[in-house]
Amino acid sequence: MRYEYTVETEDLAKYYQLGEVVVKALDGIDLRIRRGEYLSIMGPSGSGKTTLFNMIGGLDRPTRGRVYIDEVDISKLDAYELAWLRCRKIGYIFQTFNLIPVLTALENVTLPMIFAGVPREERMRRAVEILNRVGLGDRLHHKPAELSGGQQQRVAIARALANDPVIVLADEPTGNLDLHTGLEIINMLRQLNVEKGVTIFTATHDLKMIDVSDRIVWIRDGKVDRIEKRVDVVVGMEEI
Amino acid sequence: MLIILDPVMSKSTVESREVKFPPSEAFRFSIESIKRRFVRALITAVSIILGIAFYVGLRTMSDIMLSIYGTSEAARSYQLWMAIISLIVCAVGILNSMLMAVTERTKEIGTMKCLGAMDGHILMIFMFEAILVGVIGGFIGAVVGWLAGVLIYIGEYMNVIFSSALMTSYIMRMGEGILIAMILSVGATIYPAYHAASMDPADALRFEL
Repeated sequence: MRYEYTVETEDLAKYYQLGEVVVKALDGIDLRIRRGEYLSIMGPSGSGKTTLFNMIGGLDRPTRGRVYIDEVDISKLDAYELAWLRCRKIGYIFQTFNLIPVLTALENVTLPMIFAGVPREERMRRAVEILNRVGLGDRLHHKPAELSGGQQQRVAIARALANDPVIVLADEPTGNLDLHTGLEIINMLRQLNVEKGVTIFTATHDLKMIDVSDRIVWIRDGKVDRIEKRVDVVVGMEEI
Repeated sequence: MLIILDPVMSKSTVESREVKFPPSEAFRFSIESIKRRFVRALITAVSIILGIAFYVGLRTMSDIMLSIYGTSEAARSYQLWMAIISLIVCAVGILNSMLMAVTERTKEIGTMKCLGAMDGHILMIFMFEAILVGVIGGFIGAVVGWLAGVLIYIGEYMNVIFSSALMTSYIMRMGEGILIAMILSVGATIYPAYHAASMDPADALRFEL
């Protein structure tokens, strides 16, 4: 089945209780991400970007509202189906890379395929193929600590793609990288989006991301401030 | 009774929406984790080795004393108390290092869950690690404790020490030691591992030591 919208959110809200105060990290987000789209969430830190990433990725439970992935309400899934969703439908990329430190690049990429039940030879073949595609064919047996930040993030991209997800979610993917390496990662994500048609959702405040995004959603204090197409983007000084 | 077997149906409806993590993969993962986090495993193992060595040593000595002097009931119970105290000290040590070992991997657990791991899969990995460290640490501790117990008497009572009656009790004591090590190790791991595994991935990923 191919659906028009890969992700839909309906009045999505997340409140945190911090002592006496209720913090509204997200407060009624309605968002639709089309299949094959490259969508970036922009906003200052504390605006709710990461919370939105967690909600869409099924990593945290919303206070109110719903998230649909391929038209399935993820709040209705049981533990098995949720694990399956995270494994098969979504690829995650983090600011801090979050590779498993004791595993090599190759093993990190094969891990999600173990959960997906892919046979061993097939796993190896595909992991090598994907790592080659992200330019790490000569680093297969290196552990994360032996790789640079940019290389670690490329392993993370390869891992996110391992099970052919319908959407790749990236939370500040360039946040820990220098300008040049960050640009490399952004271009790689765009290339995957264009060539393989992978839907990409990034939460970022890296303005370099604007160049490659189809749409940019600006959020502020947990609400959608405005949604723009790339050509319309005008960045004000206060947003930098 | 009618039983309908439909391999096609069961394949597509039952299996398709489930993640897999066979115990063999979990076991491989545990071994890799111990090998590559060797120092951490060693710290845990040392606390097991010391506790079990102390326990097995005391028990061995009391067995030997019994067969040489025919020790009184009072002395026996005193020795048993010493052994129990050694185990309590050992348990606290293991609990402490296991708690640290699991807690420092909270973020990793969150990542695993993003990749499709379920709570049970995470628990399985930690259980295998605890059993392996417990058995290895317990075995070394038992051998060290037995040697220590025997060496004290080896000059004067050579023929008594290696009598066949005592041999059986040595093996019993060492088996006891290994079993206790495994139980303590697994027991100390279950709680922190269960706690970390049942966190929402978002909380686990946010976790900082």
